[in-house]
Formats: sequence, C-alpha cells, structure tokens
Amino acid sequence: MTDTPWHTVVPFANPKHATIAMQVIDVDPELQREAVKRTLTVDGNDLVASFATSTVRLARLTTNGFLENVDLVARTIGEFGENSERKQGTF
Amino acid sequence: MPGRRRESPLKNPSRAYVALGLEGSANKLGAGVIKHAVDGSTEVLSNVRHTYITPPGEGFLPRDTAQHHREWALTVIKDAVAKANITMHDLDCICYTKGPGMGAPLQSVALVARTLSLLYEKPLVGVNHCVGHIEMGRQVTGAQNPVVLYVSGGNTQVIAYSRQCYRIFGETLDIAVGNCLDRFARVINLSNDPSPGYNIEQEAKKGKRLVLLPYTTKGMDVSLSGILTSIEAYTSDRRYRAQGEPDEESEDVIRPADLCFSLQETVFSMLVEITERAMAHIGSREVLIVGGVGCNERLQEMMGIMAQERGGSVFATDERFCIDNGIMIAQAGLLSYRMGYQDTSCKEHLFRTDEVHVAWRP
Repeated sequence: MTDTPWHTVVPFANPKHATIAMQVIDVDPELQREAVKRTLTVDGNDLVASFATSTVRLARLTTNGFLENVDLVARTIGEFGENSERKQGTF
Repeated sequence: MPGRRRESPLKNPSRAYVALGLEGSANKLGAGVIKHAVDGSTEVLSNVRHTYITPPGEGFLPRDTAQHHREWALTVIKDAVAKANITMHDLDCICYTKGPGMGAPLQSVALVARTLSLLYEKPLVGVNHCVGHIEMGRQVTGAQNPVVLYVSGGNTQVIAYSRQCYRIFGETLDIAVGNCLDRFARVINLSNDPSPGYNIEQEAKKGKRLVLLPYTTKGMDVSLSGILTSIEAYTSDRRYRAQGEPDEESEDVIRPADLCFSLQETVFSMLVEITERAMAHIGSREVLIVGGVGCNERLQEMMGIMAQERGGSVFATDERFCIDNGIMIAQAGLLSYRMGYQDTSCKEHLFRTDEVHVAWRP
C-alpha cells in the first residue's frame, strides 16, 4: 500500500495573507511526525497544503485539524487584516 | 537576607511601553493590555476573560477547550484593545502563553498571536504561564522577595527566586491541588460555575465533621492522587448521605459538605507545611499565593496563621489576577521584551518555571 498524498487548497485575498497563514501554521510540527508528512506552499493567492499519511484515518484527522487551524487564522486575518494596513483606525 | 544589595537590571523606560497578553493554557481565555510608564509604574489598561464552563460532573477536555478558545479569541482580544483605549498599532509587542498547559488550547491562542504579530509587524513574546502568575502577583501586591506558592488546577509548586531564576523548592509529585479539588467537585456533582473550586469552598463552610484522610507531604513535595482516591471512596461509605438535612446532630452521617471541609483542611495544611519549609530554608518572611486556588480564603487564612507565627505576612490577589488571565502574560512578556527577549520556537506544553531566564531581576 503506497502513501497517497492529499492536498487542500485554501484561497486568500492576496499572496501576503496566504504567506502569513503558511508561516503561522508551519511553526508547529505535526503530532505524529513519522506517520504524517506535511508540506505548505503558497501559489498566487492560495495556500496549498499537502499531506502524506500512512493511513486514511490519519489523513482525515490531519486534514480536519489543519482546516480548524486555517479557519482560525483566516478569521483572524479577516477581522484584523484590513485594519492592519491602515495606520489610523478605530482599533 | 544577607548579601550586598544588587542593582536591578531593569531601568525605568525612556518612553511608555504597551503590551497585549493572550492566555489560553486551560479553560480560561484571557486578553489584557498593560502599560509600563516612564516613572517606572505599571498600569493595567484592560483585563478581559471568558471561561469555558462545562456542565456539573464534567471536566474540560483539550479538543472542546480549544474550540471554545477559537470561538472567543477574536471577540475577547478586540474587547481588551477597545477597553484599553488604544489601537493595535500602539502595541510594542504581542505576548502569549507558550506553556505549560494543554496542547490544543495553547496552539489555538498561539496561532492568533502569531497572525496578529505578522499582520501588524509586532514582536512576538512567548511567556511561561507560571512566571506570568508570579510577576503579576509581585506587581499587584508589592511583595519584595516572597516564597511563592503557585497553586492552580494545573500546577502546584513552591517557588523562590535566586539569581535570575525562579527555583522550584517543592511541588506535587502527581496531580495539582486544583485538579484534586475539581475532580472531587465532579464526583459530588457540584456546579462548575463560576469554578468548581469556588463551589467546594462554599460547600466546605457548611461542613461540621473532619474525616480521616492521608496526609502526604514527602519532604519538600506533596502527593495528592492518593488523597483524591481516599475522598472519593468516602462517597461509597455506608455513612455517606448525598443530600438531605441532618435529622439530629448526633447521627453518624457524612455529608458532601463534611468531605469538602475535610479535603480542604487536609490539602491546605500540607501546602502550608511545604511553604513553611521553604521559608525556613531561605529565611524569608513573606508568602505570595498565586494561581486559581489562591483565591480560596481558607487557604489564605491558614497560610496567614503560619506566617504570623513566623513574624511574616501573606500576600494574595483577587480573582481578577489569581485566576488565569491575559494581563499577567502581558506583564511577564513586557518585562522580558524590555530585556531583549526574542521568541523563537513553538508552544511547549511542558515548560518548567525554572527554565526561564529572569533577566529583569537582579
């Protein structure tokens, strides 16, 4: 049984935001480093995540975890991103 | 204490510094903004917290706690910044809890901290949760060089400062005292609102009977898991009555209030003992109690009796600061930032108090 790579594509507003998301998520290693190989890249406005796992169950768990994390990062960028560009603002 | 007076390496700042602190190592999600003024004073600009409270009889699990933090992080942060009357651009750094704590909740907060740090191009400062408690306790109470009793749901340590390190003199060999109390609260189905420990404290005030429990200090350390087993076993005792008022005073009956009372008296006595040992060892007269269990007034009272007998005093903070909060992370973070600390690695769910280089103290 060969390892099957899985990839998820997450679109962002611009390459800068996608790169921020990649840097933020890439800091933490995967919980099972031997069984899960993760690759994060930025392609235009998209964050592309590829996972190579030894079992289908691990692929599901890893992808779910990744999506929860990327959702949090995306919401944070959504909430604060525009304001961070502006030097003056309400918050 | 003998020895020449060393000068503090932390000088008054040349301008005001402002920091945001984010805390989420357990079920409390906190964000706070702190300011270090030019005259050397420290001001709390805001301290916002939202707690994940589980139904009675249930504890909080990492996955659900992380989900709670993910849901509430942005709201709490925006609230803290608004209450502080500043903008994100005014911040000098963004501080977050690196550890110790539960992995998934820590990671959720770390992700938000990193994102904000990159968006606003602010330095990121990882903070040790225990050091955060200590620094906020010192700041709020003004205690000079106390023996610190750090007691919470996740940690139980006796700490004393020496040569830029918070040294652990004694600690729990297994579970934390707050963990012991919280798990017993679950067994007798107490509410977790506002916290199980608070409800045990109230219940204990109604207790009349002291039941026999193991008293397990081991030198400078304590062991609590055996006591938990023991107190849980009492609920299977044939004299135990889960509810109902006593018909007569003389009836041989054990009630939940009696168990809460006995548990508190036993474990708090043990904590007072190991604290006293540390005080005797280093010749200190001050005790600072930090951490969620530090809110317990009976513990403060017992510690006060011991301290007074030694000619000393007890310092404690109120629930704003002893329960996990973001402002303590901001305080400890800003102190290390001002001494030139740079954040490098990822979260560490096992992060010992004595691994931190306390550069801001002499």
